[in-house]
Amino acid sequence: MVMMMAPGGTKEMCRLVLDEGADAVYVGVVGWSRRGSEHELTDDEIHETIDYANSRNREVRVVVNTLPSSTEIPALIKRIETYAAWGAKGFMISDVGCMRLVNKLLPHVAIHTSVGCGITNFEDVRFLGDIGATHVVLPYRMTVQEIADIKRKTGVGIEVFLFKTPSGGKICPGKCMMSSYFSYRRWLDDEGKDHFFGSASRGGDCLRVCQTDWAFGVDDADLGQDLQIKTNPALWLDDLPAYLAAGVDCLKVPGRDRSNELVRDIVRFYRRVLDHIAGSDSPDLSPFRPELENFHRRWKVERGSRDRRLIGEAESEAQRADVAGIASHHFAAVH
Amino acid sequence: MFELSTNVASPQQLRRGDFSAYDALYLGDFSCLNYPGNFSADPESLAEAVDRVRALGKKCYLRLYAVPSNHDLPALRRVIEAALPLPFDAFEVHNLGVLQMLREMGCTKPLHLGVFGNLYTDATARVVKDYGVTRVYPNPELSLKEAIYIRDHTPIQVLIPVHGKIPLVVSETCFILEHSGANPDEKCTFPCAKDHWLTRAAGDWSLKDTGRMTLSGSDLCMLEHIDALAAANLTAFYVQSHGESSEYIAAVGRIYREALTRAFSGQPLGALDDSLRELAGLAKMGLCNGYYFESAGRQYVGRA
Repeated sequence: MVMMMAPGGTKEMCRLVLDEGADAVYVGVVGWSRRGSEHELTDDEIHETIDYANSRNREVRVVVNTLPSSTEIPALIKRIETYAAWGAKGFMISDVGCMRLVNKLLPHVAIHTSVGCGITNFEDVRFLGDIGATHVVLPYRMTVQEIADIKRKTGVGIEVFLFKTPSGGKICPGKCMMSSYFSYRRWLDDEGKDHFFGSASRGGDCLRVCQTDWAFGVDDADLGQDLQIKTNPALWLDDLPAYLAAGVDCLKVPGRDRSNELVRDIVRFYRRVLDHIAGSDSPDLSPFRPELENFHRRWKVERGSRDRRLIGEAESEAQRADVAGIASHHFAAVH
Repeated sequence: MFELSTNVASPQQLRRGDFSAYDALYLGDFSCLNYPGNFSADPESLAEAVDRVRALGKKCYLRLYAVPSNHDLPALRRVIEAALPLPFDAFEVHNLGVLQMLREMGCTKPLHLGVFGNLYTDATARVVKDYGVTRVYPNPELSLKEAIYIRDHTPIQVLIPVHGKIPLVVSETCFILEHSGANPDEKCTFPCAKDHWLTRAAGDWSLKDTGRMTLSGSDLCMLEHIDALAAANLTAFYVQSHGESSEYIAAVGRIYREALTRAFSGQPLGALDDSLRELAGLAKMGLCNGYYFESAGRQYVGRA
């Protein structure tokens, strides 16, 4: 039976998605989960969410998928042990060294690789399975056939996003450091945890600089178009029966940084879709399409609002750096 | 003492370039298998190339494709099969699945983990060391202090880029082709031979794009800190020259060879103004220090 895993960007969102039929909710830990702190949970909130989920025979997966500094690892492992003791059933992790450590310390917990692992082929999956990953999240662009092949060849649990990117654009995340290149604010908290504003890998948030308008030029000539560097993924529907037939174990609803209401409605929608597929030998998903289109519109509005805010923060950082005179240095160049 | 290395994509670049300042060469472009003559994709060219580099008295490393899809794996396997009996000093790997393949193919050569291997911790360095990795290129987001920590606590050799644009993104699709109006079904005419820039006036943002890789607009420059690197007992240094001219590679290599030689023989670096001006003249968007001093990639920190 496929597990539908839904986002818990707030404690209220956690409650809503579990009530709407998610089998599990995934929650990020403040400073440790590739999102801004407003979409991450405190330890108290995580504890309460685990209790709420377990009382309904549902599960919590805790997202600790930053790529930590070596010296942060003891603090990360201590947190994971604490959440596991509270009843968290699994963890999303990016750093393969931490994956191996967690697998040795807590062999009973599920370890999901994060998108930060940047998987591109089935050999990657074999590697990650060998060091302890129980589930691998596959990139948006893999075909159903490739997913079926990977499942057959590796036996590792397969997780896919209910989110796909059209062809084109850059790989992100896992192979992208564009945001932190443009960010200047960085501090350590009382526990020595790195909060590098602008680096999702190091405890901050991606500033979405790929989503602003860029001029693209050859040598000194502008190609005459403003463009965005990365295409945005969208929720999908029609291939779901094929994905389930291919052996997908876990469907991940995106949206920790969307509104509680939008995520609640999306989870309710996919619960109905999955129940419909389970109840039919030849499911017809066409009646669901208009609702999906509506979600696409709502999603785009919320994403645009968030992107503008984050890009604005990146611009403020750049202005601050220019005023402080700490940006790139030109010396008196000899040409 | 120390090793200064850089990268060479193709036989043509190897023939034309002046690599006299370098101790070792990484052969191949790990980002694009279609690049003309790319050593990373052309098993036929490897024997002659490795002989040529070795005859120059340099170490020779082979770069393997960074983001292979399932469809690319057979071609990658053919490159590895051709390279295994050749006298390469090491293979550079960016992909964990390729590490797995190499072990199962019986590879006993030293392995280097490349920049897109996403190495952030000593724990991960210990994992890849178990797969035969002897040298790691820490993720560019790491500070010098973090790189040294990984070296000492794994332990393992770390490669320290000292100059050149910072690799920020790698992709399995070509951004230049997508936006040049070319028909994706037609044979690539390599518009990437020209310099492509992504720029944004607000915030003075710039990035260089080579199609399947996006690099920092500014050039990382650690010339003013070479003595500190030597004092930290770092020994493997690298000039990132993907997408740069032969003149750039020769000039940057000469400047850093001189500085490293002085630093490792205990002499002061002396006045660097002329060298810095020359390096700045080669950098269209200025110089930076990357993330080495625990800040943004664009920041430049001069000597105290």
